[in-house]
Amino acid sequence: MNDFEPIRLAQVSAGYGQRMVLDGLDLELKQGTITAIVGPNGSGKSTVIRAMARLLPTRSGVVLLDGQDIRSFGSRGIARLVSVLPQSPSSPPGLTVRELVELGRFPHTGLFGRLGAEGTLAVESALTLTGLSDFVERPLDELSGGERQRAWIALALAQGASTLLLDEPTTFLDVRHQFEVLDLVASLCTSRGMTVVMVLHDLVHAANYADRVVVVDSGRIVADGAPSAVLTVELMRTVFGVAAKIFTNPESGRMFCLPIGTGRS
Amino acid sequence: MTSARSFAALTLLAAIAAVVLFILHLGLGTVWIPPDRVILALLDRSTDPTDLTIVRELRLPRAILGLLVGCMLGLSGALLQVVMRNRLAEPGLTGVSTGGILAAVLFLAGTWGLPPPGRLLPFVVLLGALAGGILVLFASSARGRIDPLRLILTAVIVNAILGSLTAIVMLRSQQALGSILSWLIGSLNGRVWDDVWLALPWAAVGIPAGLLAARAANVLQLDDESGRALGLPLQPARVALFGLAVVLAAGAVSVSGAIAFVGLMAPNAARAIAGADARRVLPLAALIGCVLLLAADLVAQSLSIKPPIPSSAYRVGLPVGAVLAVFGAPLLIILLRRSIR
Repeated sequence: MNDFEPIRLAQVSAGYGQRMVLDGLDLELKQGTITAIVGPNGSGKSTVIRAMARLLPTRSGVVLLDGQDIRSFGSRGIARLVSVLPQSPSSPPGLTVRELVELGRFPHTGLFGRLGAEGTLAVESALTLTGLSDFVERPLDELSGGERQRAWIALALAQGASTLLLDEPTTFLDVRHQFEVLDLVASLCTSRGMTVVMVLHDLVHAANYADRVVVVDSGRIVADGAPSAVLTVELMRTVFGVAAKIFTNPESGRMFCLPIGTGRS
Repeated sequence: MTSARSFAALTLLAAIAAVVLFILHLGLGTVWIPPDRVILALLDRSTDPTDLTIVRELRLPRAILGLLVGCMLGLSGALLQVVMRNRLAEPGLTGVSTGGILAAVLFLAGTWGLPPPGRLLPFVVLLGALAGGILVLFASSARGRIDPLRLILTAVIVNAILGSLTAIVMLRSQQALGSILSWLIGSLNGRVWDDVWLALPWAAVGIPAGLLAARAANVLQLDDESGRALGLPLQPARVALFGLAVVLAAGAVSVSGAIAFVGLMAPNAARAIAGADARRVLPLAALIGCVLLLAADLVAQSLSIKPPIPSSAYRVGLPVGAVLAVFGAPLLIILLRRSIR
């Protein structure tokens, strides 16, 4: 896992039908770090993640996975290296936590293979890491939003990939569960050395949890760097169209940017 | 939902029920043969030549078909519910029943006045059934993509078209009407070994392949994005599972006609018992399909009716499809009411 080359996008353009969303994007991930992708609605944040895992083919440019063109991989080959948690995943009613997490081994077992000792171990450790060991036999639809999101993260962990892509993992969660999920992601980054990319709407979360913030607007990267360097009053006004103030989090010492209004009043 | 142990217990129970029903089925008829003599005859140890003939030649084909058809319809329904993402999906929604029946009606109308077509009809139904399934698949795929909802809507429309074509042919050629009725409702009356040989290849291929599709089915049950992120090519997987459901249902329809409700009830019962994991739902749906069909056919056999024809001295067995519709539909309603938590 250590000599794995993180994902790199070079001059990537991608889109849906006639509409181009990404326009010649360059981005190189750094191993073992958390990157937050932020930007207004429709800016192409989620598309960046989809292109990174070849869920959306690129129109031009190249995505490099472990130093090789991602198009040279099989679908399950990619899934062994990159886990993706989509924005609003859904499972059939009655599916239990364990049954869901075991699906994370699909990239390894394929259609007919057995889970095996390695698979069982990966599933168990994913359940332990996400604190779900007591919930394994519970159907997903009986869990709280936060527990359910942890179960989906466990599925992604069971894949055994070293890169984790999360599309708005905190949407629909109350504030405590948002922190729970983000703390979990941060701990995965430190304990497993995973490379994490999160699309986030909440800029305070981005400033608090990310090592690096990438701001996407109209399919281009408009700012990229440490949260304190990127999330400025000026950027908030030009990209998001809001007035903001800069504060320091007294607990972590991190700077963060608090939007205070549209700036029109 | 249920623990592994209670699942195993319930599966064992269903398997035992299937065996018991199978033996009772072989015993029941104009002459009742008790289970011990049925088993002796099955094992070729019986000293009574009448028992041997009745059990092995006359009744065994029908009982085997009950097992196979129930299993095929149950599994086909369970696979379709995954592909269509809908618990109301059932084998008839593949276009195989209406396709098979239209083919049968055309055949019977076209051969009117000629000697009875005899053994050819099941082949015609089989071809029509497969054609119906292929028609639904092609009509619903847009730019090579299969969308669950579009698949359902297309199937409903294709079924309506094929059904009205059948009605037109039947109105123009009323001779076809009588012989087609048992195909419309679905029946196992008077089935012989030739019918078993016709269904067996489809069962032998479709049942194991359908059960092996469990893991793909599990991934397909997630949302599209999650499924693709796990590395499953969704479109080929959907086509394959739909194809398996068509093969299973077509094989069943070709020997029994359009038996309704088994393919709807069995998967729903399996889900109510075993939860959502296809590794449990698929085999259990197949097993429950066997039990339901054998039980219904047992009732159908014992409730013979005297047709309202003055000269007729025979009593005719009820078609199993009618029994399933009458007794099965209320059962299904009870089951659905219970499964809503």
